[in-house]
Amino acid sequence: MSSLSLLHHATTRLSSIHRFSRSLTSTITPAHSIYVSKSTNPYFNLTFEDWLFRHKPPKEPLLLLYRDHPCVVIGRNQNPWKEVNFRALHRSGIPFVRRRSGGGTVYHDLGNTNFSIHVPRTTFDRSATAQIILRAVRSLDIDAHVNDRNDICVGKEKIRPFIIATCSAYKIVNNRAYHHGTMLISTRLDTLGDLLRSNKESMVTKGVASVRSPVCNLQQFSSTISHDAFVDAVVHEFRNEFDISEQACMIGETDELMGDDYIHKGMKELPSWEWAYGQTPEFEYKITRSFAWGDVAASIHSKHGIILSCSIDVLKGGNIVLNHEMGEIGKRLEGKRYGQIEDSEVIGARGQSGDILQWLRQEMEV
Amino acid sequence: MFRQATRSRLSFPSRTVRGLPSLQAAPLSRTIVTKKYTVEHEIVQFDDETHTGVVSITDHAQSSLGDVVFVELPTVGSQVTQGDQIGAVESVKAASDIYAPVSGEVLEVNERLNTEPGLLNRSPEDEGWLCRIKLSTPSEVDSLLTLEAYKETFES
Repeated sequence: MSSLSLLHHATTRLSSIHRFSRSLTSTITPAHSIYVSKSTNPYFNLTFEDWLFRHKPPKEPLLLLYRDHPCVVIGRNQNPWKEVNFRALHRSGIPFVRRRSGGGTVYHDLGNTNFSIHVPRTTFDRSATAQIILRAVRSLDIDAHVNDRNDICVGKEKIRPFIIATCSAYKIVNNRAYHHGTMLISTRLDTLGDLLRSNKESMVTKGVASVRSPVCNLQQFSSTISHDAFVDAVVHEFRNEFDISEQACMIGETDELMGDDYIHKGMKELPSWEWAYGQTPEFEYKITRSFAWGDVAASIHSKHGIILSCSIDVLKGGNIVLNHEMGEIGKRLEGKRYGQIEDSEVIGARGQSGDILQWLRQEMEV
Repeated sequence: MFRQATRSRLSFPSRTVRGLPSLQAAPLSRTIVTKKYTVEHEIVQFDDETHTGVVSITDHAQSSLGDVVFVELPTVGSQVTQGDQIGAVESVKAASDIYAPVSGEVLEVNERLNTEPGLLNRSPEDEGWLCRIKLSTPSEVDSLLTLEAYKETFES
């Protein structure tokens, strides 16, 4: 019936992809235990989260709460063309973001609240985090419970597993396990369904696939629940659990944080083509189309967002000249960015070549 | 597990090692295979005869990562520089990058990992090898860590 939280494993990559990022240093250090972000910029929040869980001493408990304006967040090793419905994405003007941690695709908007919780290793217990979130939800007069697998439930339905995440896996010394989850409060479930639908069965991709789970909003059970109420409740339970007397530290896109090298470069990297598309695992996309002049099958092979090869076969209606032309188009696309065929490429092409280029461009953009 | 400490002498073909491609080379000569480690939890098994190194991740790394669900390998024929990101590993717990421990040309990758990423858990230092690199600067091996030094990076 009702999955209250969309949990994915929030696992931070141990180092950034580019070599320059590996030497990034921060001039600031996280001094607090509880952070609430006032920013709704996903690029800021995801980068701040990454910075926070990397720079906080692992022996200290840590909580971060935030929400983002509408965006689709895909996992580190996922294929956006497979996970995201680009037609709906462009129509809605919503961006997609590749986060630095692994796992599947989720939808964020102001109706869902993200929480990341780290509990110190010595006291780490699979159920500790689930219990904190459970107590917070129950304090808001929602009759939730945790099942034996630490899923938060309302009613008896099986809910998604609560996954432990580890940050910086290779750097075992700094290893810190944390839970990342999303609490759906009043999220646009219809938009979520549109954006995450892709149905590209003939796209065979390497990488990590998403698992679809039924979800519902907390507001279904309590009309008075809100982001602020949920944040206050989680902060309250977290302070109780760890005897923390300090208040939550409110953060935002302040000069101090934005001026930090790690955060500044991290925020610049997330929306870049090299990160968002260029980190896509290898895939192959096979498509067919009937034109007035013949039937065509195309197969596009791509890795890291670059077209490695593109073969175009005329199945019906072909001849030596046409086959040669198709071969030439395939060669011309090699090395180009997948999904980014320039206007100039298409405008200059006439006849069958023009048809093919326009078709391929369309197929790659959705 | 860590049976070859830092530098060991292996005589071939008296011993066959399953999975590792470089160790099957040079059948009649005595080859010195040096096993070195990086702080990124990678291993290079360097063959001083062919100047090639087989790259894998340590048993310690795989056990920390948990069940591996995806491995991205470098492209055969590509030139890599020490420290470059050459691949990625994602497990049920974490997503991590793989860095080139040495510079050179990627001669071969372990294609089995594409369909059997779990090999990295079952046999990280043998059947779960990642790639084989022809070193452009063999002296880079000297600057890598010994087993003892590697262990010190996470045992404290």
